[in-house]
Parts: sequence; C-alpha cells; structure tokens
Amino acid sequence: MTALIEARGVSKRFRQHKRFPGLLGALKTLVTNEYTEVLAVSDIGFDIAAGEAVGYLGPNGAGKSTMIKMMTGILVPSAGALSVLGRTPHLRRMDNAREIGVVFGQRSQLWWDLPLVDSFTLHQRIYDIPVARYADNLRRFSELLDLTPFLDRAVRQLSLGQRMRAEIVMSLLHDPKILFLDEPTIGLDVVAKDAVRRFLAEINRERGVTIILTTHDLQDIETICPRLIMVDHSRLIFDGELKSLRAALGSARRLTLEFASDPGPLPLRTAALVSDEGLRKNYLIEREDISLVAILSEVGSGRDLKDVALHEPDIEEVIRTFYQRRNADQRSNAKARAS
Amino acid sequence: MSAYFAFARSSFHSQLAYRNEVWANIFGKLVQVFARVAIWQAAYAGVGAIVVDGVSLQQMVTYALLGGAVMGATRPERIIGEIGRSLKTGDVAVWLLKPLSYPLYLFANECGSFGYRLMTQVIPTVAFTALFYGMLPPASLFDGLMFIAFWALSFTLLFLMSALFGLVAFWLMTSFSLDWILGALLQLFSGLLIPFWFFPEPLATIARHLPFAWVVYYPNAVYLGRLSMADVWLHFGLGLAWAALFLAGVLWLWRRASSRITVQGG
Repeated sequence: MTALIEARGVSKRFRQHKRFPGLLGALKTLVTNEYTEVLAVSDIGFDIAAGEAVGYLGPNGAGKSTMIKMMTGILVPSAGALSVLGRTPHLRRMDNAREIGVVFGQRSQLWWDLPLVDSFTLHQRIYDIPVARYADNLRRFSELLDLTPFLDRAVRQLSLGQRMRAEIVMSLLHDPKILFLDEPTIGLDVVAKDAVRRFLAEINRERGVTIILTTHDLQDIETICPRLIMVDHSRLIFDGELKSLRAALGSARRLTLEFASDPGPLPLRTAALVSDEGLRKNYLIEREDISLVAILSEVGSGRDLKDVALHEPDIEEVIRTFYQRRNADQRSNAKARAS
Repeated sequence: MSAYFAFARSSFHSQLAYRNEVWANIFGKLVQVFARVAIWQAAYAGVGAIVVDGVSLQQMVTYALLGGAVMGATRPERIIGEIGRSLKTGDVAVWLLKPLSYPLYLFANECGSFGYRLMTQVIPTVAFTALFYGMLPPASLFDGLMFIAFWALSFTLLFLMSALFGLVAFWLMTSFSLDWILGALLQLFSGLLIPFWFFPEPLATIARHLPFAWVVYYPNAVYLGRLSMADVWLHFGLGLAWAALFLAGVLWLWRRASSRITVQGG
C-alpha cells in the first residue's frame, strides 16, 4: 500500500520579531529589526497509510499544530518534503481542501449567528456535495453524535460539547479521505469526550477515513488510535504502535491484595511491595512473564485473602515512564560528556 | 458560485439575530439626516436666497437624503474590523482551509448585510424624511437609471476601499486608527457632508478627481442631473477604472497576506 501522507525531514522555523517590554521597549520594537528564530518542527519523517488512525502526541508547544497546519496546506515547511494524497499541500491548497476535513478544537468553523443546520448547508454549497449524499451523511452523522435535537438552534447557544460534535460532523459531510483533528476533545466533559472518541473510532473503522489527531489527552489515543507518533521539543521521539511502546518499556503492572485480617508484612519474590496499609497491600510486578496464579500460589491459601486486583499499566504511566527514562538517559549522557 | 449566493443569504439572515439594533440604527440615521437637512435650511435662510450657485434648497435637501441612502447601508469600519481581526487572531486559517476565495466571500457577505440594512433601515428612514421635507424625483429617466448603476458602483468601491484598509492593517499590526482615517476621508471627500460645488478651488477640483467622489458625490450629482449625458458615461467609466485599480490592490495585498500567513504563521 502506498502512503497517503509522506513526511521526509520536515522542519518549520518561525522568525519572530523581537519585542521589548515596557513603553520605551515598544518604541524600541518599532525601530529595531531583530528577530529570534523558533524551531517548531525539526526533521520529522513518517508515512501514514490509508485507513490508519494516528495519534500525534506531545506536550504543549511541541509543534503538533504546526505539523497539522503543514499537512493541511496552510503553512509552508521551511525544509523537507511533504506529500498528502500525492500532492504538496501548500502548492495545491484548494484541491487538497476538497479531500480533507479539518477540525480545530480551539477555532470554530461554524456560523455563529445562524441555526446549526445552516452551517451545514453552507458547507454543502462550498464543497458542492451532491444533495442526496449530503442528506444521507447529515442524517447518519447527526444520529450517531446525537445532533438532531439542536439542529435548529443558533450556534452561539450551543454548549462547547454540542459545538465540537457539530464541528466534527461538518468536517465529514464532504466525505474527506483524511480527517485532521487538532485537539478535538479540549475542554470537553467526560461524557462529550467519550461520545467524540467512539464516533471517531467508528468513522475510522467503518468508513475507512484516515484520522490524524493531535492531543495531549492520552485517553483519546487509547480509544481511537492504534498508532502513536510522539513529539517533544519539535522532534519525533517515538513512532509505532501503542502496544509496542508498552512492551518496549515493559511498564510494571500493579497488584492490590486485600485481606480480611492483617497478615503482617508480606514480602514476595514475584512482586515488589510498594505500600503496606495492613489490610491492603500494593505491589509492582516488573516482569511480564509472571502470572497472577504464580503470585497467588506464593501468597498461599492460609492468609485470609479477600480480594485481588491487577491493573494493566495505563497509557499515562507508559508515557511517564518513557519521558523519565529519556530524561535519565540525557542526564547520564551529559554526565559522561562532562567527566 | 452558488456558495457565494448562499453566503450573501446567510449574512442577511445573520443580521436578523440582532433585531434590536434595527431601531437604534433607524433612530441614529434619522438624527443624522435631520441634522444634515437642518444645516442646509439654516444656510439657505442665512444667505436669504432661493438658489445658491445654481442649486435650490429643494435640491440640497434631496442631496442630503440621497447621501444618507447611498452611504447608509455600508459599514466600512465593520469590514476593516473583520479583516483585521481574522488576520490577527489567525481565524483566517479557517478560510484558507476551504476551497473558496476569502475576498469574494467577504464581498458576498457584505452584499447580504447591505441588502438587509437597505430594506430595514435605509429605505424606511429616507422614505420617512422624504415625506417630511419633500424630495425631488430624478432629473430624467436616464439619470434615475444611471443613479442606480452609480449606487452599485459606490457600494463596490466602498467595499474595496475598506478591504484595502483592512489588509493594510495586517502589516501595521493594528487597525485602530485606520477605520477613523477612512471615515474622515469619506466624510469630507465623498461629498457626504458638503457637495463639491460649494468647495473652494482648488479643493473642489482635487476632490472631483479622488476615488471617494464616486461614493456619494457622483451618484447624487447624476440623480440631480448636474452632469451631461456624456459626462455621466465618462465618469461611470472612470469609476469602474478606480474599482478595477482597488480590486487589483486588494487581490495583490491578499496574496501577500496569505503567503505571509502560510510562511510566518500569521
């Protein structure tokens, strides 16, 4: 399969006019011509195939939005080659626009003063969507995201969650091949987040729409995206399956044992005790090959054991481990250089 | 193309959301028109003549009413403000993401609100004041028809000038005084306050050659029959040339602005 999106050594550098604080500084700003360069994206490369769902993850300011803007064609890369659907996005912005959908979590594309459905009909006109196709899409998506009750309400009267659902529906009305979402769940409550996530996962699975979403909410990625691209300080630091990240880091599972009566200190060979509250004891299982059965047989049957809970590491932990290890590596490298 | 008609229509409908503004605007316009008419009545009474420089009081009152009609339905400061805001906040990115032309979208939008303000505010105010003071009919059928054409030209020019000022604001990174500057230039050089025939020379000659003259002065002068038929055609052509020049300016600045946005990120 050929890649739908190809990025090769893509970088983006911004020049910012240097500004000086204060009143005198403002005057100075007017007469000086000093710039500071900011590297937002540096040397990033990846391939995304049709039908994939990719989470683009990183802390604030890591260059996520910049990358999305370059892929949608509204920002020109400073270096490197970028191809989306076989085109260079910024050179063929209009053609590109017809085949992609874009949702910005922080920037509305709906018509503020009009009933919601009017935004959709305008969208239909802009993209020349055949009427039957439009009606069909609108009906199906509105049902899935439960928009029908407020289609006639003015956009400015909608809640943030309702509006975001509407933004997503609108971005899909022209059957885009790729859907870009920049922080689609930002500011939403748990219920709305969940609805959005389930919808996106379904769209990806059933319609084969390729999805690229930036987020710093790891739960988004867990539910929607099997593949994860992580960036930090403008650089790519991980590209692969979430599962393999987990496996590579081998994040420890957590085990909680609850007893009906306090068995006293209970060290185990198979798991490390991390906290002991008497009746409840928490362990970490570092090794992947140790089974719950092995642990329980070590605990033995005479201990008055009431309950057992085993937690798989969640993505937050995986990523925290990832960053910690990387920082530790960097520190030790720095030390090695210094000595 | 149907998208732009849809924009015009939706902009018309958007205005309905602010129904309360209608009464405030009608009131504001009435005050303005009454004030302008009162000034001319006072001026003519002061001179004690019925005709000054070949212009009767009745013609002056008509001129004042028409000026309000021609200028009244466009809001240059809104256009400047909207362009400035969307460039500064980066909302313009949303428009770059769609397969359409942003300047044409703005124009369609302005057509919609123009239609709305024309119907709900301008025509009622002018009709009301005309009943009050009396208003002359167009000097001839030809002049009446050409007045409509000049009016459309005036609307287009006003839009293009505002768009130009709005785009310039992008480079100055501020739009604060630009709408004032344009507003002041229009007050004086469009002929809204005082028709050029009362201007001293050489100011009158200068004013007649500035593009602002096509916003109020020429449409009104045509209506009142102050221009010969040949002059009407000539000035219509000149007005079109100004419009073409401004259009080129807007498109050029827009291309530069959008390339700066896509390279610099705004």
